[in-house]
Amino acid sequence: MRLLAEIVLVVLAGAGLSMCVALLPSPLPAPRRPQTAGPPRPGQLEALERLVITAAGNPVQVHAYLRPRLMEIASRRLAARGQTLERLPDARGRELFGDRLWDIIRPGRPFPEQRDGPGVRYEDLSAMLEALERL
Amino acid sequence: MRGSLASRTPGLLALAATGVVAGLASGHPELVLLAAPFLVFAGAGLALASEPRLSAHIALERTRLLEGEAVKTTVTVSNQAPRAVWLEFAPARSAQLGIEPSGAVAVRLAGGGEAELEFVVRPRRWGAHRVGPLLVRARDPLGVATWEGRIGVPVDLRAFPREQRLRELVVPLRTQPALGAHVARARGEGIEFADVRPFRVGDRVRRVNWRATARRGSLQVNDRHPEHSSDVVLLLDTYEEARDQAGGTLDSAVRAAAGLARAHLARRDRVGVVDFGGTLQWLEPAFGTTQAYRIVDALLASDIAFSYAWRDVEGIPLRVLPPGALILAITPLLDDRSIGLIIDLRRRGCDLTVVEVSPLGHVSPGPSSSDAVAYRFWRLEREARRAQLQALGIGVAVWEHDVMLGPALEGVNAFRRSARHGLLA
Repeated sequence: MRLLAEIVLVVLAGAGLSMCVALLPSPLPAPRRPQTAGPPRPGQLEALERLVITAAGNPVQVHAYLRPRLMEIASRRLAARGQTLERLPDARGRELFGDRLWDIIRPGRPFPEQRDGPGVRYEDLSAMLEALERL
Repeated sequence: MRGSLASRTPGLLALAATGVVAGLASGHPELVLLAAPFLVFAGAGLALASEPRLSAHIALERTRLLEGEAVKTTVTVSNQAPRAVWLEFAPARSAQLGIEPSGAVAVRLAGGGEAELEFVVRPRRWGAHRVGPLLVRARDPLGVATWEGRIGVPVDLRAFPREQRLRELVVPLRTQPALGAHVARARGEGIEFADVRPFRVGDRVRRVNWRATARRGSLQVNDRHPEHSSDVVLLLDTYEEARDQAGGTLDSAVRAAAGLARAHLARRDRVGVVDFGGTLQWLEPAFGTTQAYRIVDALLASDIAFSYAWRDVEGIPLRVLPPGALILAITPLLDDRSIGLIIDLRRRGCDLTVVEVSPLGHVSPGPSSSDAVAYRFWRLEREARRAQLQALGIGVAVWEHDVMLGPALEGVNAFRRSARHGLLA
């Protein structure tokens, strides 16, 4: 019991000393800064980021969503050269855009029969965009 | 004000209770003696503590300034209670207001006393801001109890956008029969030479071109283009913006709109504004310096308001878009609804020019490789969209981040000159 009392005495003395130090005037804590979320990204870009991922594993996504966008870009680029996508000969289309991109954007491309086939991986899409940038 | 125990008070009470309980349990009264000062201190503090009666007055050196400018703010805090209090206070913060000193200020305020402190407030962005109220934390002299709250009436501070100084403006296709600075296509009294034609009854003698008369053997007179004004409507797209830590496209758009409005008003044009986005607001076209202030005030209220509503031209009152007006659409081209409106206006025969506030400087590609591909894709799509507008005869001035707007407008004028016949159709 005496040992316990001595332990309590030592603890109280230490706590009392620290409390006396704490009672001295001290700088008050700085106010908390409001936490702000990061700036939102443009909806157009977010939609494209999702499309690039979903198009990798689904030919329907490629045909229904990726193809119209690629066609729009290709049409505008061709229009600057006085050409249209619809009247571009097959051989010329393959020469300008490359086989892979032309197979997607060529007029009259049929709807994919196999819905669970491979889509367009982003590495391939990158190469297609390069072809469009060159045009 | 909301009162509570200071953070140290529960510790004091716990320490005292431990000493008392240990002393009683072990039969050693010295432990109780050791704990007694803490108990007395906490008890005295709580007995003496009373809620402070504080009031504050916030005064700004001026309430209108340009964004980025600093204004001295004097804060006077008075304590109506008889007892002294320790205070720490700071003006309420917002992301748009820089306040120096940045931390809280601590003072001891005697009973019935008053303290005056100065802050420097600097609006980081244009807009209508509020300085205040003061966030206050008070404690009694022994530091046992604290009170927190807000005091003082906020003061409105209007920060005007820093305008682009523009020498080159988009030349309107059609002018109004009022004196201005644009050379009209019509012929009449003016300075700019237009043509030589045979004399007609009623022509003034001073307009006779004697050299041409001598050459042709009949009286010839000079025709001139009169200087007319035009109607200009600034269409501000507030559907969506791209933003980073340094700013956003809406900030730049408002600066551009303010600069364009002032420059056109200086050329005696009638200028109006349509804030087109989640909310639709407008200011009818008018002349003069007063209109310049009205426009800036209207622009300060511009903000991105999220909305699913699809608006079209029908929603804009006819008097806001007078026939023959030059419409300057200031947009980041981020929302299909605003692009649809621009195309709709052009198809209705409006003289339209797009000032594209480029978002590319505010948006960087995402971290993954697929995000980088998507970013390139987005850039190509934006170029295609621009080409689509140009194919409709709409001049597009691409305004990149941190670049002067003037050169971009020069490029648009060149485009409009080359496409003039199509534009007038």
